[in-house]
Amino acid sequence: MKITINNQPVQVPEGITIMEACNSVGINVPSLCYLKDVSHNASCGVCVVEVKGAKSLLRSCITQVTENMEITTNSQRVMEARRVNVELLLANHPQDCLQCDRNQNCELQQITFDLGVTCKRFVRTQREIRPKDETSLSLVRDPEKCILCGRCVAVCSEVQGVKAIDFSGRGLKSKISTFLDLGMGIVACTNCGQCALVCPTGAITEKSAVSEVWDALHHPDKVVLVQTAPAVRVAIGEAMGMPDGSLVTGKMVAGLRRLGFSKVFDTNFAADLTIIEEGNELIDRIKTGGVLPMITSCSPGWIKYIEHFYPKSLTHLSSCKSPQQMFGAIAKTYYAEKAGIDPRNIVVVSVMPCTAKKFEARRPEMDGAFQYWKEKVTMTDEEHFFDVDAVLTTRELARMFKETGIDFTHLPEEQFDNPLGESTGAAVIFGATGGVMEAALRTAYEVFTGKTLANINFTAVRGLTGIKEAEVDLEGTKIKIAVAHTLKNAAILLEQIENGTSPYTFIEVMTCPGGCLGGGGQPIPTNYEIRKKRAESIYYEDAHKGLRKSHENPEILTLYNDFLIEPLGEKSHHLLHTNYIERGKYKKYN
Amino acid sequence: MEALTNSIVPEIILDEIVEKYKGKPGMLLSTLEEVQEKNPLKYLPCETLTVVSQKLNIPYTQVYSVATFYSFFNLKPQGKHSIIVCRGTACHTKGSKALLDEVAPILGFKRTEDETESSFTTPDNEFTIKTVACFGQCAQSPVVAVDGVIFSNVNSQRLMKILKKVKK
Repeated sequence: MKITINNQPVQVPEGITIMEACNSVGINVPSLCYLKDVSHNASCGVCVVEVKGAKSLLRSCITQVTENMEITTNSQRVMEARRVNVELLLANHPQDCLQCDRNQNCELQQITFDLGVTCKRFVRTQREIRPKDETSLSLVRDPEKCILCGRCVAVCSEVQGVKAIDFSGRGLKSKISTFLDLGMGIVACTNCGQCALVCPTGAITEKSAVSEVWDALHHPDKVVLVQTAPAVRVAIGEAMGMPDGSLVTGKMVAGLRRLGFSKVFDTNFAADLTIIEEGNELIDRIKTGGVLPMITSCSPGWIKYIEHFYPKSLTHLSSCKSPQQMFGAIAKTYYAEKAGIDPRNIVVVSVMPCTAKKFEARRPEMDGAFQYWKEKVTMTDEEHFFDVDAVLTTRELARMFKETGIDFTHLPEEQFDNPLGESTGAAVIFGATGGVMEAALRTAYEVFTGKTLANINFTAVRGLTGIKEAEVDLEGTKIKIAVAHTLKNAAILLEQIENGTSPYTFIEVMTCPGGCLGGGGQPIPTNYEIRKKRAESIYYEDAHKGLRKSHENPEILTLYNDFLIEPLGEKSHHLLHTNYIERGKYKKYN
Repeated sequence: MEALTNSIVPEIILDEIVEKYKGKPGMLLSTLEEVQEKNPLKYLPCETLTVVSQKLNIPYTQVYSVATFYSFFNLKPQGKHSIIVCRGTACHTKGSKALLDEVAPILGFKRTEDETESSFTTPDNEFTIKTVACFGQCAQSPVVAVDGVIFSNVNSQRLMKILKKVKK
């Protein structure tokens, strides 16, 4: 299709929007509400262009190109309109950019600068300061910074199918709110944080644990252990100025050591442990006629989702805690004993690509280590501690690196500490959708059949397709498996389970698009292309690991020998497994 | 206060209403409209919103979104009589602000300058006074609706007369 853009003749495919056409020839059209694959409600009016013959300016994000269309993006009229639309948004937006969480990574700030908006002509129309929503353990919403673009609403309902937030009111009173303005910590929100990831401003951010972690690091008596989730090593580099998806495991470890952590451990160790427990649980369920399909339980957003919306299916969840929680429980029992440290002095900090992990760490039942010690030594309830003390997102860790002036790109490559830093390739792929499934199959196959797996790459479960399925032959026992990412896709598999048509034996669910590598705590922006690059890095790390099956991790074998005795055993039951509660979609607001 | 505690539409009636509209286009609006009408205090308590949401299988937030968007829906109990003063542009130019300023204080209604739409109910639950953006009766502005009856070309004496009549 032939069109002209700024008098230049251009060939573009049929059916694309003006914005896409402009982008394809190197003209970047600014927008605050449009987001590929997520939001196209054309609310911000910043992407307007002039089209010959059209009465008014057109919003390029939703207008398709037509044959011989003459588009102008650089006329005075277009540029003035864009500036005015941004100025109108700024009228009600606070001017405290310097103190804002999103300073220097804010689309509104960037567009204001790019468009040359240098004055503030319009007065504020909002009379009241609208209060922050701090009810959630994971996320904070600041309506003052909200520009009503609707991206968060779109991602919450269209991508996740959760619908925790929506527009309410009208006109000047329009806002994004939860049901009855109850707050995100009270309604059925899964804490996935995808809203924070797509917000163009600082209106939704994670609840920061940075100062808490600094306090621990500066405390003279505390032994501060850190664990890093698999998806952090392929994303933190981006926040430190490196190319998208850079694999920076060694630098990240070096950086963490320079922040002052006593030991730099790896959640991957616990991921291997999860596979041993979960793989054995699956085999046990298959052999003893337990509830099938079994569904993975690593993703805390997903756990809260099923607790809210599909409580009837809770028995399908693996009883395994997530790797983060397994790590905390093992660090404060096994490691504390081994290293001779009073568990009360241990502070476990997690670095996660995830906002829901902050909530997970505060689930009341996540204090296995405290319960373990309470039976051994006298501990009062005042001394109560959780298995994981603080959770940082990838973004928060980047902030800490910056605060201390660490020149990340020039850090040396360092190794994780032992014993809780040893891991296999099976663990690192936990960070990508399909990874837990693949890791579990590598172990379950060998444990179930007693034979060595010829090809350990289960490529059918890799990639960014919404729901992937495969059939696996466990030497005669054929099982069907499925992998879903995003909660909307998970819901499809749950509906099958609830109406009795699910053909699967084992299902992996990850809350976020792409799995943890696309988590709500990852650097902004996180989009499809970036997710793909992070996934490539994850599979690269797996391919280059010496050991690629969880049950071959020597430190895991030692852990079982010296402490846990056997998978699904008594100690595992107390420290590594958990239970779930029905939260209710309607009546209970927790 | 007794009226307040009895102000929730019984489930049986709710079921009837829902049954009537379920699956039809615009079911949420129609349901909310009729449920509010059946409520003795002419409003939608949060219990009602949750039940409607469940029965129609529409997310909580969407129900809340709709209920807060339309000024027709009330989330607070309404007085026995409703007085709706139009604050649209035409009515404004014909003095609806002065009308409101004169009448509202008599009922104890304090309004703030900036509010384009607001609602106030007298403590004795006799009157709810509300403003809306436009009735679509601009030719006869200023317009006031009292208990659903629209009065046009209203001035303050006329409005006081109407109110006296209603109160009896």
